[in-house]
Amino acid sequence: MSLLDAFDPRETGSSTDGILSNRGRFGILALIAALAVLGPVASAVRPFWLYLLIQILVFALLALSLDFVFGYAGLLSFGHAAMFGTGGYAAALLITHVTANALVVLPAAVLTGVVVAAFIGWFSVRARGIYFAMLTLAFAQIFYVIAFADLPSTLLGVETVTGGDNGIVGLATLETFGLLDLSDRMNYYFLTLGLVALSLLSIVRLANSPFGRVLQGVRENEDRMAFIGYDVRRYKVIGFAISGGFAGLAGGLYVPFQSLAQPQLLNWTLSGELVVMLLLGGLGTLWGPMLGAGVVVLLEEQLSGFAAWEVILGSVFVVVVIFAPRGIAGALVSLWEDPEDAIGNVRDALANYREKVMK
Amino acid sequence: MFVEFSSVLRATMLGVQLGMTLALVAAGLTLIFGMLDVINFAHGSLYMMGAYLGVTVSAQFGSFWLALLIAPLAVGVIGAVIEVFGLRALYGRNPLYHILLTFGLAVMIQGLVVEIWGGQSLRIEAPASLAGTVQIGPVEYPVYWLFVLAVSTLLIAAVWLMIDRSDLGILMRASAHDTEMVDALGIDVSKVFTGVFVFGAVLAGVAGVLLGASRSVNPGMGFGVIIETFVIVVIGGLGSFKGAVYAALAVGLVTAYGALIAPSVTDIFLFTMMAVVLMIRPNGLFGATEAA
Repeated sequence: MSLLDAFDPRETGSSTDGILSNRGRFGILALIAALAVLGPVASAVRPFWLYLLIQILVFALLALSLDFVFGYAGLLSFGHAAMFGTGGYAAALLITHVTANALVVLPAAVLTGVVVAAFIGWFSVRARGIYFAMLTLAFAQIFYVIAFADLPSTLLGVETVTGGDNGIVGLATLETFGLLDLSDRMNYYFLTLGLVALSLLSIVRLANSPFGRVLQGVRENEDRMAFIGYDVRRYKVIGFAISGGFAGLAGGLYVPFQSLAQPQLLNWTLSGELVVMLLLGGLGTLWGPMLGAGVVVLLEEQLSGFAAWEVILGSVFVVVVIFAPRGIAGALVSLWEDPEDAIGNVRDALANYREKVMK
Repeated sequence: MFVEFSSVLRATMLGVQLGMTLALVAAGLTLIFGMLDVINFAHGSLYMMGAYLGVTVSAQFGSFWLALLIAPLAVGVIGAVIEVFGLRALYGRNPLYHILLTFGLAVMIQGLVVEIWGGQSLRIEAPASLAGTVQIGPVEYPVYWLFVLAVSTLLIAAVWLMIDRSDLGILMRASAHDTEMVDALGIDVSKVFTGVFVFGAVLAGVAGVLLGASRSVNPGMGFGVIIETFVIVVIGGLGSFKGAVYAALAVGLVTAYGALIAPSVTDIFLFTMMAVVLMIRPNGLFGATEAA
């Protein structure tokens, strides 16, 4: 298997069916409705759960944005933290210096994500496969160092811009001309849910549009698409920029919610975790990565009380990758479609594992 | 900006030393990728295990030399366990999943390290015989660092000779080039794979002990070094040992000079270098071309 085939997601069981079918659409609507009910219920039982739900929604949006380029266009970005973080920093800077109006801050975060992604993408699409991944990583780390060392303040000759290691702290929350009180966590939840739902619907539409089909074609056979006459690089850059917009939005929602923008938002470990969310959930299924994001956030929050929680988290990754090749989404689908078959699969997977290890 | 000649010389020596030690880590990473197509995120953790086991062995027996011998071998055993019980189950599947597996392992090992050794920063006691400094021209240079330079360079040279000249090296290169053919010729490729993985782990372990006595030993060092070594193997071209060595030298020098000019943003130089190299040569300096 060559380097380039390595990023062929066909084998990972991704498909555009399912979520795009009528059943899939109903599924999305049902899920959104369920989440709309879940928020108030969770908050009533334990207020902390609402905090977790918002956290999950934001990372689900981020995972969704990566799945659009990775799952659909086959572009493994190892630098998605760059768009998330710069979107977040853009929001933080606007809130501190200009306005906390959501109608300004959120579009600005999206725009920042788009611009940063277009910049990174334009350079990175020159390379393919793992080399593309490493280029995106390199650019993202450059943004991380810029924020960490507070380079803008040195260049502009002012005291502080990004706040360096500490980041920008004590941010006011978003406001909407006083229409919606976003310091109320429940309102923030519904704002986030609404935006995530909108993003999901637009990504599904995009994936299903002629543009999305071209991206899929690029994933399946890049050379053939180029021979047919598509400007493959341009499609990739545009796809990457669109994805960056959603990642920027996630950052713009996350930072005012945490009232903190710190360099960690830009660090590669976040990008790495994001890739893990996708693979864990089920690549290219859109809902799988969102589920993966939920699982990772929940595990991290719930386990962090335990000693050696990282050991447990790591083991979960290891077990899933060995025994559930198509991620949690794949396992759920096979369980739904044919429970008996799914149990048989588990047995096969165990036997397979034993055979391979004993070889 | 005026920089004194002696500090440039010192930075050069430091850069070469760092480069050769990083080459030990990068060698394993690039060999493993070349043969197994595995992007091993846990490779930095193996380096870290080398350092921590070095701390324990040297503290237990009061001997740095024993640590330098035992810790890398122990890391080799850990490597064998990872290859046999983890990676082997994934061969033939999309190499993407190796990312998930090895990332998970890296997280696990970091957690284990905190559990066993605690979160604070530790240090391996360098041997008394290597204490002090020597005067080299205008530069006063620590003896231990010269020792690190010598050991790393010798090891890299030995590995180079082995890959280039020995039958084993030919077998390794052949398995990397065409696994099926080597398999068909009656050679147990899976043993070769395990061997290469263990070999890479041992080299990383050596680097961990060597640097553990000059840098601090902490739970973040695994994730820290993995990015540096990724940059190296990508610049050198994935799978190319020669490329990794040259790139490691370049990265070591850029890091050392960067620390001289602008310490807080050294990484920007590194990543810019990688981006420029990839822009000109999309498969790294010595990477296989797409047709291969």
